Amino acid sequence: MGDLTRLGFMKSSVGAAAGVTGIGALVSSQADAAQGPVGSESVVAYVKDPSSGEVSVMSGDREVIVRDPKLAARIARAAG
Amino acid sequence: MSSHREAPAISKDPVADNTDTYAFVSPDDPGTVTIITNYLPLEPPFGGPNFYEFGDDVRYDIHIDNNGDGKPDITYEFAFETLVRDPNTFLYNTGPIDSIDSANWNRRQFYTITLIKHGKRRVLARGLACPPCNIGPGSTPSYETLAAEAIHSIGGGRTVFAGQRLEGFYVDLGAIFDLADLRPFEKLHLGGMANSLGVNATNGFGVHSIAIKVPKAELTRDGSSPTNPMSSGSVIGVWAAASRQKSVIRESHGKRHVAGSWVQVSRLGNPLVNEVIVPMGEKDLWNSLTPADDKRFLKHVQHPELAGLLPVLYPGVFPKLAGLTAARADLVAVLLTGLPSGIIPGFQNYTGKTYADELRLNMAIPPTTSNPNPLGLIGNDAAGFPNGRRVFDDVVSVELRAIAGATYPLVNKGYTPDGAASAITDGLTDADTTYLPVFPYLGTPQGGYQTAPLGLVAS
Repeated sequence: MGDLTRLGFMKSSVGAAAGVTGIGALVSSQADAAQGPVGSESVVAYVKDPSSGEVSVMSGDREVIVRDPKLAARIARAAG
Repeated sequence: MSSHREAPAISKDPVADNTDTYAFVSPDDPGTVTIITNYLPLEPPFGGPNFYEFGDDVRYDIHIDNNGDGKPDITYEFAFETLVRDPNTFLYNTGPIDSIDSANWNRRQFYTITLIKHGKRRVLARGLACPPCNIGPGSTPSYETLAAEAIHSIGGGRTVFAGQRLEGFYVDLGAIFDLADLRPFEKLHLGGMANSLGVNATNGFGVHSIAIKVPKAELTRDGSSPTNPMSSGSVIGVWAAASRQKSVIRESHGKRHVAGSWVQVSRLGNPLVNEVIVPMGEKDLWNSLTPADDKRFLKHVQHPELAGLLPVLYPGVFPKLAGLTAARADLVAVLLTGLPSGIIPGFQNYTGKTYADELRLNMAIPPTTSNPNPLGLIGNDAAGFPNGRRVFDDVVSVELRAIAGATYPLVNKGYTPDGAASAITDGLTDADTTYLPVFPYLGTPQGGYQTAPLGLVAS
């Protein structure tokens, strides 16, 4: 996958809703192609504390902290 | 042990478990410093068919602090890659491995070494071969010759080796972890048994070593080769660390996916600090931090638990130690700041006020090449621990004696230690294992075929 940016991650995670809380939340790339290119490398999303609104996004040896309370909440709800 | 299985989390992750770190002026090449850091504690030599190797998913670092702030100024990073020639056999080797590129060696490991200095990364060498483990005369004949092929000169006066070695750290684990029993002094212990000889618990075990020899001038902050022992620029702080990536996904088909930033899971500067100074509840935390963070552990060095236990376990033997309630400035100096000048004539390895667990090496102190004393500085041999650490230094006895009060007069001349403080030992010496006189200095690992299973019954 290309550079992980906050915007890129948000695009790639829209509609995925496949993540779960805890280490190992895997968000598959189902982005709208119109919203930018998405690579094929797996991405791990980790919501340590849903109330913080932060999602840690990991790919390769990179890690980006995305601050998006709605996204964090969506992932948390998807985990049941 | 020095740091073998010393903390709850890392004890379950031997590939990343840093067991010992050494730093010393190379005795046969005194313009250089050798740093060795070991992983994979207590390898039984016969542990096949998947013999020991470094972790491809672990990042191994050797850090140098040359300005006393407890943070790395220079890092040598080692990254490993395992290659399998034939995945359709279960065998490590399909015939004798008579050279390091033998076609009979099925599972080989290579590494890349990267220098990180002032934030810039520079690959020093790639594709460096590790030796195989010492399996036995059928598989690894002429092992010493084979291992020597894995000593690589990589330019710039640097030499490296990464692979199996004989464990050089000697310690009577069985006794020490049985309520701090020291066999030569058992009669004085609460248990009240007869005195006996120490038993080297690591005898014959292997370990995986990363060793690098570099010119001294590469390590100093001004790029010079130090000659004045009293100059602060002559002293470096050394520690090693291992890191893993933050996330691991275990796939259903037996494969794994790792991702994320690197998280430190193990480190080691001075021997035995996380092992016997840091309490259980903080050991995993300690492994995750850098020396610059060690102020939070200061109280454990100032008031080591073992200093309180010795007078209880050896009734009547340590009355002076029992009355020593002041903060142990001697141990703080030895372990966290280095010894300032004025304490031991002609010597210092002080790095400043930052409390940081580092092996502090005064590189201007020449190596002792004739009858070095494994007791190092307390044995009047300034080239040994705690001035860095040589492979044969008796760090168990040195630290036992220091904790028992033998070094407290360095900071309080009015204190007279108990007689036992300068005598206690686990009863072992460097004669209980073997070393090499040349790089990589740790001895040739014992072969699996030649090794009898553990069964020694100690009295």
